[in-house]
Amino acid sequence: MSKRHPSVDASRRNFLKGATLAGAATLTAPAATQAQVAAPRAQLKALPPGPRQIAVETTPPSKDPVNQSSSGGDFMVDVMKTLDIEYLAMNCASSFRGLHEAVLNHGNNVKPEIITCPHEEIAVHMGQGYAKMSEGKPLAMICHGVVGLQHATMAMYNAWCDRVPVICMGGNIMEANKRAPGAEWVHSGVDINAITRDFTKWDDQPTSLQHFAESMVRAYKIATTPPMGPVMMALDAELQENPISDGETLRIPKLAKVVPPQGDAGALAEAAKLLVAAENPVIVCDRVARTHAGMGRLVELAEALQCPVIDVWGRMNFPSRHPLNQTFRRGPLLGQADVILAIEVNDLWGVLNNFSDRIVRTSHPAIKPGAKTITLGVRDLYLKGNYQDFGRYQDADLAIAGDGEASLPALTEAVKRLVDDGRKSAFEQRGKKLAAAHLAAIDRAKSDATLGWDSSPITTARMCAEVYAQIKDEDWSLVGNTIRNSWPHRLWKFDKPYSWNGVSGGAGVGYNAPSSLGAALANKKHGRLTVTFNGDGDLMFVPSTLWTAAHHRIPILYIVQNNRAYHQEYMYLQAMAARHGRGIDNTAIGTTITDPNVDYATVARGFGVHGEGPISDPKDLGPALKRAIAAVKSGQPALVDVVSEQR
Amino acid sequence: MSRVLSFLAGAVLGCGALALPAAAQDAPKGDAANGKKIYLADGCFMCHGRVGQGGAYNGPAPVLAKTEMPFEGFKGQLRQPVQDMPAYSEAVMSDQQIADIYAFVQSLPGRTDPKAIQLLNN
Repeated sequence: MSKRHPSVDASRRNFLKGATLAGAATLTAPAATQAQVAAPRAQLKALPPGPRQIAVETTPPSKDPVNQSSSGGDFMVDVMKTLDIEYLAMNCASSFRGLHEAVLNHGNNVKPEIITCPHEEIAVHMGQGYAKMSEGKPLAMICHGVVGLQHATMAMYNAWCDRVPVICMGGNIMEANKRAPGAEWVHSGVDINAITRDFTKWDDQPTSLQHFAESMVRAYKIATTPPMGPVMMALDAELQENPISDGETLRIPKLAKVVPPQGDAGALAEAAKLLVAAENPVIVCDRVARTHAGMGRLVELAEALQCPVIDVWGRMNFPSRHPLNQTFRRGPLLGQADVILAIEVNDLWGVLNNFSDRIVRTSHPAIKPGAKTITLGVRDLYLKGNYQDFGRYQDADLAIAGDGEASLPALTEAVKRLVDDGRKSAFEQRGKKLAAAHLAAIDRAKSDATLGWDSSPITTARMCAEVYAQIKDEDWSLVGNTIRNSWPHRLWKFDKPYSWNGVSGGAGVGYNAPSSLGAALANKKHGRLTVTFNGDGDLMFVPSTLWTAAHHRIPILYIVQNNRAYHQEYMYLQAMAARHGRGIDNTAIGTTITDPNVDYATVARGFGVHGEGPISDPKDLGPALKRAIAAVKSGQPALVDVVSEQR
Repeated sequence: MSRVLSFLAGAVLGCGALALPAAAQDAPKGDAANGKKIYLADGCFMCHGRVGQGGAYNGPAPVLAKTEMPFEGFKGQLRQPVQDMPAYSEAVMSDQQIADIYAFVQSLPGRTDPKAIQLLNN
């Protein structure tokens, strides 16, 4: 889609003007030739040159060249290759046509390879899902300055809240006298990065190619240093398109990745002392596992202490079937805890307090008085003031600034040094009780799942059990989930570092479909079976994600939990109406997605994706999943539309 | 996400309060068929599921199928709910309608043996 106005003045740039004249000459030449052919045959001697030919032969060489042998965009591609950036997700736009062309014809569309996205939010969210599944390796996205960037911002906010690196770029025309009237003015800004500055770690607008190289390497370094986050680079169109004038002096700086900071050794020793001495310690984890090493490190600490772990699911932190996984016993465990270790938890206040959403909003602690709280993480190292994603302030007795995953080995060693035979025996007893409670929680989950097993609409428990039955023997990776669907974590065995890919961060709707696709892109090279549960409301934001999946042949299984509503809001509206005693007859207005019901399987097929459904009878679900998974294993994306219960 | 977290423990406490046999009385006679209509029309299903299987609002919404809660406790939760459940005054829901809903949730199939379902034994 061209975003340049068709009436754009061709004199915008010198070389463009030249190209226009050359084109005009080409078009008029045949007409001149025809005129010559039509001349009387009696005059066989050569015709005298016409005014045009005379002009061509006598005019000095033009100072307005129509060709160039190098471009800044080529150099930018070289920088991206040096950084090993595999993909450039984008929706095409004139403000980065120079870089776009360079990626294709200078870079051969390899590292980066262009991923065509029908919306900029898709491009950023793909980067978010991809980076989490790639152990923090970012992809790049580029968008039209101003208008494309405004489309991208919601996804950038999600990535910011989720602490995920995405290299975001936006085309811009910095020099006012180089902008064509019309679209190029309304699509340019003095400082386009300003609209994203509250939720990016860093940004720049380079004014030379050397400046670009240094800033791009710096951007990569900053984005991938914990706490990770998106960064933003504004790329001047002239810089991308014009010839390189200083090629001999350009250099691409060396990237030295920052070793994540480990917590202070003395502070970790103090934390170990508290944990070993505690009778009822609890570990709460959120975004701990940055790499595949993270889960194993947390398991080692928990086992050294025989300590329950409550997983907030921000990453694949802890195996779901590990006996110490006590996620579904959070209330009682926190209520009796004497020491709580919170690792990379963003909203710790929300975990340690109960909040009541009533006319008078109240709260009370979920932990007993005197319980010691230890925090370990990098959240305190980088905060901004405007958006309130940092949550309410929570007291802590010991706050350790350090990357959770990087600090775990030292903490575990400190714990092991303090465990004597007496404590070891106590830990073993504790571990046995926790293991029994874990098994009881699984039994409870299975019993709960039987409720409404054969009913229609299909229960979410049945939906998740049916999916698991089809994928459990595959090398599966669940990369997205619907709101408050806890069934996969209750029923499935998550035991690999890529079994799960976390949540949106900012709770911005429209995350799940594209971020899941980004994770699937990362999984593709490993041959994993990528699965995601996608809410219908979320898919309605960016359904064109499905086209990107089909176009780039990214295998992924979308299970649409189609409850035909923005259901959380439906319930909130019910609460508001009940508060006034007005009845809830009208609460479906503005909250439901009915009349007409959406047929997502047909939508999928329209985008070139294998579609199954809508499926309302639970008996039909298994066969449909089999067909869809066969399509995914053949390299295609597939979607199964499940008409489901609300929750 | 933070809102979800903050409510979870509170909702569990709320469930505990519901289970208390505070004012056990025999339930008045209710019409289960009418109760089903009200249950679906008045949005009980939105949090508790169409077959009373439970669900989630700001925290877990308890299972209602074959609830062991006494009728008075059930009615009390509708009139003066603990935690975040919306309140239903007599102006919008009569005692008889509550009795009908109670009869409906008692008529639901409830749990079965998960061992009899192959998919739940993976």
